[in-house]
Amino acid sequence: MRNVSIIGVGLHPWGKFPQNTFVELGVQAVANALQDANIKWQEIQAIASGIYIWGGNAGHISGQYLAAVFGETGIPIINVYNACATGAAALRTAYMSVASGQVDVALAVGVDISPEGFLSAKSDNPRQDRDVLRWRMVGMPNPAFWALECRKRMHKYGTTAEDLARVKVILSQYGVLNPNARYRKAYTLEQVLNSPMVNDPLRLFEICATSDGAAAIIVCAADKAAQYTSQPVNIAACTMGSAIYGDPTIRISALSAPAKAEAPMLSESYSASQQAYRIAGIGPEDVDVLELPDNSSWHYLQYLETCGFCGEGQAEQMVREGQTQIGGKVAVCPSGGFSSFGEAIGAQAVWQVVEAVTQLRGQCGPRQVKNAKVAMAQTYGLMGNSATTILTV
Amino acid sequence: MDKQKIAGDKVPALPDLFQGEAGGVRLRSARCGTCGTCFFPEYHEQHRPGCSREGVEKILLNRIGKLASYTVQHYMPPPPFRTEKDITPYPIGMVEFPEGIQVVGIMVDYKEDDLVLGREVETTTFTLYRDDKGQEIVTWAFRPKAH
Ligand SMILES: [Zn+2]
Repeated sequence: MRNVSIIGVGLHPWGKFPQNTFVELGVQAVANALQDANIKWQEIQAIASGIYIWGGNAGHISGQYLAAVFGETGIPIINVYNACATGAAALRTAYMSVASGQVDVALAVGVDISPEGFLSAKSDNPRQDRDVLRWRMVGMPNPAFWALECRKRMHKYGTTAEDLARVKVILSQYGVLNPNARYRKAYTLEQVLNSPMVNDPLRLFEICATSDGAAAIIVCAADKAAQYTSQPVNIAACTMGSAIYGDPTIRISALSAPAKAEAPMLSESYSASQQAYRIAGIGPEDVDVLELPDNSSWHYLQYLETCGFCGEGQAEQMVREGQTQIGGKVAVCPSGGFSSFGEAIGAQAVWQVVEAVTQLRGQCGPRQVKNAKVAMAQTYGLMGNSATTILTV
Repeated sequence: MDKQKIAGDKVPALPDLFQGEAGGVRLRSARCGTCGTCFFPEYHEQHRPGCSREGVEKILLNRIGKLASYTVQHYMPPPPFRTEKDITPYPIGMVEFPEGIQVVGIMVDYKEDDLVLGREVETTTFTLYRDDKGQEIVTWAFRPKAH
């Protein structure tokens, strides 16, 4: 396996763009990445593209649709789907294409334009699609699953309503400073605690929205990166994980979970992060910047433990002490997180890595983490999908 | 196992998930005779890695379980969820059964102070809506166990 560097990143800002097509958003992200890498389209030797699930046949072959705009060159185009870890699967595929030695330069891209209103079931056969059961029999949107775990955590560790609200307060102050964020307003503890209850104990401001956006990354063999950029970012690990038997977490779509834990909570994310630490030879204590999947305040707290940044039941204390803020032990989501961006299924895992790259290049202005050398992007997807990327400079 | 029967005109919104008369409603599950994994619904098999998957047996979960968690939902979910009227806010409970499995369902007939982790609950049904023939279309649900 060869060393692989990131030589270019590009985004389409997050927001709601119902008048646009996924191709339009994706093209802007790819064009920005090409420009950032100072590379010509014809030099891209492979593409891994996240499937856009709401785009019908075109969405399932999103990479072909994007490539046609720039001009078809005959290169391999692989379209991938792993729920909210889709973008990470695209990045890992591009990374593996270069690490294996098959190509020198590859592009990873993810796009999403969410449908209006709620996401809901996409089939009607419960025997093969668990999603049908949770929607028809219980009426259970994703935040209900997070709220069930959050309640358990509060019962077990004494997490308070203020602890949950504090997460939003911290993230919103970074969102204000990020020009690509959808929500750019800072909130006080009181404002968060006064936001409407959605899935008790989780309030409106403690759950991320669904957004539209696109992100692209160009990876290159490390020994050729200097041809394109003076600031290559090294990929120290790019892993994916699935769940482990006996994981007690109530997983989105499922209506049951084992009563007795035989594996860690969020075992798919535990698996991905442990693999990454081993491959990179880097531990959580070395990480300066952590982009974690803050789908809700519960996720923010739980992921600090799942990925080994603190011991069990210690996340609340770590947050209260300011250890997760810029200047603390590890800067968590200095991008503003999903809390400020919203989820864009196919794009968000690529976006997390773009934010991490921007920090390691020192380009984040007032939300820059000083002297950041190691960054980690941690992803979460429903039904046991996860990915971890560790970057160094 | 008999085809499920529900009292009166009640018809499950989807088949093979629960059965029994009012007061004796039980969730249909299955257990692997080799690795012992208990799963719900009975047709979504799950096993311990390496299991030979022999001797999977359909079982009925105990009627009574303990509340392991809950959320109170303050908005109506989108279709295909369907109820006669807006039922918000409504609690969704996660119930631990003695068979070693936790199952999620809507909670009914509760008072605020029944929503306490560890509290005993029993399985029942909840009428989502009536179809054009006037039949009650039901799902499974949990309610505090009568003292
Ligand atoms: Zn088995």
